[in-house]
Amino acid sequence: MKRRLRIYKPFTRAGILEMVAFRVNFIFFLLGEIMKCFVMFFVWKAVYDSSDSTTLYGFSYDNMVVYLFVTFLSGYLTYSDGSYVIGKEILDGSIAMRMIKPVNFDMCFLFQELGGKIFQLLIVFLPITVGLEAYRWIVSGCFMLNVPMFLLYCLSLILAYGINFFFSVTYGFLAFYLKNLWGTDIIKGVIINFFSGATVPLAFMGGFGHILSFLPFASLSYTPVMIYMGMYDMGQIAFYLSLQLVWLVFFYVLSKLVLQSAMKRLVVHGG
Amino acid sequence: MRRYLKLHSIFIKQDLKKLMEYKVDFLLGAVGFLMEQAVQIFCLGIIFSTIPALCYTVNGTVVDSWSFHEVLFIYGFSLIPKGIDHLFFDNLWGMGYWIVDKGDFDKYLTRPINSWFYVLCEKFCVDALGEFIVGIALLIYSTLSMPAEVVADINWWRVIPVALVLPFCIMIFTSIKTATAAISFWTKRSGHITHMCYMTNDFAKYPVKIYNTVVKTAITYILPFALTAYYPAIFLLRGESVWSLPVTVLISVVLFGLSQFIWHKGLRAYESAGS
Repeated sequence: MKRRLRIYKPFTRAGILEMVAFRVNFIFFLLGEIMKCFVMFFVWKAVYDSSDSTTLYGFSYDNMVVYLFVTFLSGYLTYSDGSYVIGKEILDGSIAMRMIKPVNFDMCFLFQELGGKIFQLLIVFLPITVGLEAYRWIVSGCFMLNVPMFLLYCLSLILAYGINFFFSVTYGFLAFYLKNLWGTDIIKGVIINFFSGATVPLAFMGGFGHILSFLPFASLSYTPVMIYMGMYDMGQIAFYLSLQLVWLVFFYVLSKLVLQSAMKRLVVHGG
Repeated sequence: MRRYLKLHSIFIKQDLKKLMEYKVDFLLGAVGFLMEQAVQIFCLGIIFSTIPALCYTVNGTVVDSWSFHEVLFIYGFSLIPKGIDHLFFDNLWGMGYWIVDKGDFDKYLTRPINSWFYVLCEKFCVDALGEFIVGIALLIYSTLSMPAEVVADINWWRVIPVALVLPFCIMIFTSIKTATAAISFWTKRSGHITHMCYMTNDFAKYPVKIYNTVVKTAITYILPFALTAYYPAIFLLRGESVWSLPVTVLISVVLFGLSQFIWHKGLRAYESAGS
């Protein structure tokens, strides 16, 4: 185990260095993405002003603001680029170089991406959580962060990243069959965004939303966010965490199966 | 000028041939885009199902309000100038992401035509037709669902000025893309700056009055996306904010000049990526 971790350490390092090298690009990209949250921040404000009641489906306006930003944060941290990277390597054939090395194919990607995540934790996670807790503190007058809940949130986030990673790897092998990246990646983004409740909380969709909460997409960001906000009781937390675990195992196995069948079909021209 | 128009049509023909070759790419792109819009509109529907109309309130009193269909109308209108710009001038994105970075820009300098024009027209992005069609469909749907007296107010005296201003709205998009793409002449990559500026476009899809002064000023005068969506749309619907039409023309011309200035300055600073 220790030996295996040592093998992948350079990949993690490479991931960190890559992030540091492109940090300016990264920050601009992030500023662009967070703009969506601010748009919805104002839209929801107008919606709550227009409504007669102060809560909608159990969400007060302050809840909604927290929901927006924590969803963005969780979605961002658990996002995995695996499908795009793998698809690109398959299409241009550089995947062959990875396969002749005595390392595990998907683990390379995993550790490389984890390196990037370490960087993101510092530069995204810290400022946004601190800012958000400051907002909650100002609005409610007391410190809202519940430490055990926060730890459970972190655990759920890690599980969510795992699911996302293996889902993304599985999806990336679609490139074998479709030979297209841009379109399939947009579709993936839309599916994840909608089914994970990133635009509108699943609670707003009634029975349909309840069904969606069992799907793997909800495990990607809705579950951690609900835990962070304290919307779930202990029983629900236990249930949804185990559900996340189930999906993680499911996609892990699926990605292995797809990898095996895809390897048989792989054709790389030239080198 | 005529030579340039002719060249442009040749480029478009080439791209259509490419499209025929990669049908799946096009199809997946179109499906992805349609799904994206459908989800957005569905979510808008869910949000509006909780309230009768979107209100702008000051100290608890309602100052202005927009019905779901009016918001859809604004949303739909915002897609039209954006879609047209996307259709013809999409290649500017490539500038910021890879053209300059990989040294491909040299190609554009060796041809006997304006480099900016060449970059613009090299790619004809058919995917953007989706944006355009969804925009038109939303306009039609929302107009049909509005009360008859609102629709009766939309006359030629509103439609014609907006149609005349539309090219200037497109120019706002193109200018912002040009200016931010030109930054790559100095920094090699600037696609993320374009991305950041572009995301503020989301603000313009909703009634501008719901934002605070900072955002309102920014999206009206600095990155004037509101001039391409909310203002012309609300003028069509209610005849409000007539002032915005001449302002759009003025600002778009200024922006265009500025973007050309940055582009030409950048051209002089450009040094190819060594390989």
